[in-house]
Amino acid sequence: MSNSKTEERGRRYLNPYVGGVLLGLVLLAANFISGRGLGASGAVKSVVVTTIEAVDKDAINTMPFMADYAESHSGSPMKSWLVFEMLGVIVGGFLSGAIAGRLKLKVEHSPKITSRRRLVFALMGGVLFGFGSQLGRGCTSGSALSGMAVLSMGGFITMMAIFGTAFALAYFFRRNWI
Amino acid sequence: MKTLKLLALIIIPLGIILAAVPADRIRHFQLTADELLQEAGAGVQFISPDVVADMLVQKDPSLRLIDVRTPEEFDDYSMPGAINVPLSNLLADEYSDILNQNAYVNVFYSNGSVYANQAWMITRQLGYENNLVLEGGLNYWFGNILSPEEPSQTSPNEEFARYDFRKSAAAALGGGGVVSTEPDVPAVKAVKPPVSAKAKKKPSGGC
Amino acid sequence: MGPLAPYEIISENTNFLLAFFIGIAFGWVLESSGFSSSRKLAGIFYGYDAVVLKVFFTGAITCMLGLLFMSLFGWIDLDLVYVNPTYLTSAIIGGVIMGAGFIMGGFCPGTSFCGAAIGKIDAMVFVVGLFIGVYGFAFTYGWWEKLYYANYLGEPKLSEALGMKDGLFGLLLIIVALGMFVVAEWAEKKFPREEY
Repeated sequence: MSNSKTEERGRRYLNPYVGGVLLGLVLLAANFISGRGLGASGAVKSVVVTTIEAVDKDAINTMPFMADYAESHSGSPMKSWLVFEMLGVIVGGFLSGAIAGRLKLKVEHSPKITSRRRLVFALMGGVLFGFGSQLGRGCTSGSALSGMAVLSMGGFITMMAIFGTAFALAYFFRRNWI
Repeated sequence: MKTLKLLALIIIPLGIILAAVPADRIRHFQLTADELLQEAGAGVQFISPDVVADMLVQKDPSLRLIDVRTPEEFDDYSMPGAINVPLSNLLADEYSDILNQNAYVNVFYSNGSVYANQAWMITRQLGYENNLVLEGGLNYWFGNILSPEEPSQTSPNEEFARYDFRKSAAAALGGGGVVSTEPDVPAVKAVKPPVSAKAKKKPSGGC
Repeated sequence: MGPLAPYEIISENTNFLLAFFIGIAFGWVLESSGFSSSRKLAGIFYGYDAVVLKVFFTGAITCMLGLLFMSLFGWIDLDLVYVNPTYLTSAIIGGVIMGAGFIMGGFCPGTSFCGAAIGKIDAMVFVVGLFIGVYGFAFTYGWWEKLYYANYLGEPKLSEALGMKDGLFGLLLIIVALGMFVVAEWAEKKFPREEY
């Protein structure tokens, strides 16, 4: 492990407090320019709606949840603020990784588990997070982070529910991480 | 750790400044008589019946209809989901939680709009927000929303769009007769209620 | 004067273009803070790396201070800034489900896109999971509709709910966060991990 340490880590990460202040400024810019916070899961929803519509135009009307969303985004559901923002996230993440020398195709996992186990858990985690973000009207960025910045009660509740549950379950999944 | 100390040195004083400034510099709630007169003159308190109909059809959870007529009149007929707060009892303690809140959009209605408007004036002067008045009251609601009159052939397209919207709203709200619409008008689903120009754009966001 | 888009100072298309640039900055900050690594993210739950806590709360506090000061100077109309509505039941249940997803998957939606962008295969699989989860919710929406709308509380601010001024609440939040940071620094020393 320690052998590959220098080559794998590439350049060092930002100091977390500096990163936090920068994140806050980005969030502030979003609020000042667009009157809204950052988000992520909404973009996934846009893509899902578009895909369903493309595959079967009528299927969308059998799902009231999606039909409402498609209707509230006149034009195309892809023409939404969050979709553009998330495209930017992919570009920004890639640029940062490229400059710091962190671009590498790999499965990151604890040495105690196999790649396969890691991927199975990643998939399950993704499914749960996708489901929860729709029920809870937003994910860690859209609801917890952006909500807390505007002192929204919902933001604090979601944040505590997410981190509280993760802490409570941490013991059962410790082998995956440490 | 060094960065943390620096961060603390910056944000704690900023927090103290914010905690120390008077609240009204950040947000002002209180209304002077002048401001009230201005608001009333501009008619900001009115919400169009079409918007209310749309909210009812969409089952918007934030809409709360408040009937300010007498309990007898309320028992006789009330709008779907409405609650009764008689104008004569407006200031009773039991109603203050209903009127002074920011969870719902309260819409006052009476037969015309006079009593509802009085209710708005009183609550607005107390500094309450989120209370509106149904434009035209129940009379207009019955006459134009639940049984809309078909526009004449020469009317502009918006008239037809509005007629179509009202027609479908009336059907959904269980009033009026359901007659098929003109074949050349676009499908009912696409029709949006005409939004009054006064309405401020509500911020949207979230995931 | 602000926010610019709701006041129609900038057009819808400009708003979308700026969203793209805001996204680039967002992705950049996430990646360079280490949020593209699931083991770094999961570190908070075992005490060996509290980067999530530090970045997350510093970010929220910075933005909150910025908004309150801008409002104080009259630069932004906070009434036009989106405040998430609070539906108590779905916020809690949704949050619990997301928390379980977090500890199992090691990412949240924003960070998984970041990780996928630099080639983390586990992040890509997580993103696939997100799509399945969102589709699954929409597909079974009928079962959850009641729950989804239960206990609607409007768009309350926590400061108002506690009967506090926004500024005072902000100061308390800052103090609580700094306290957590100190604990986090201590935990990182106490439960150090070999390089991961």
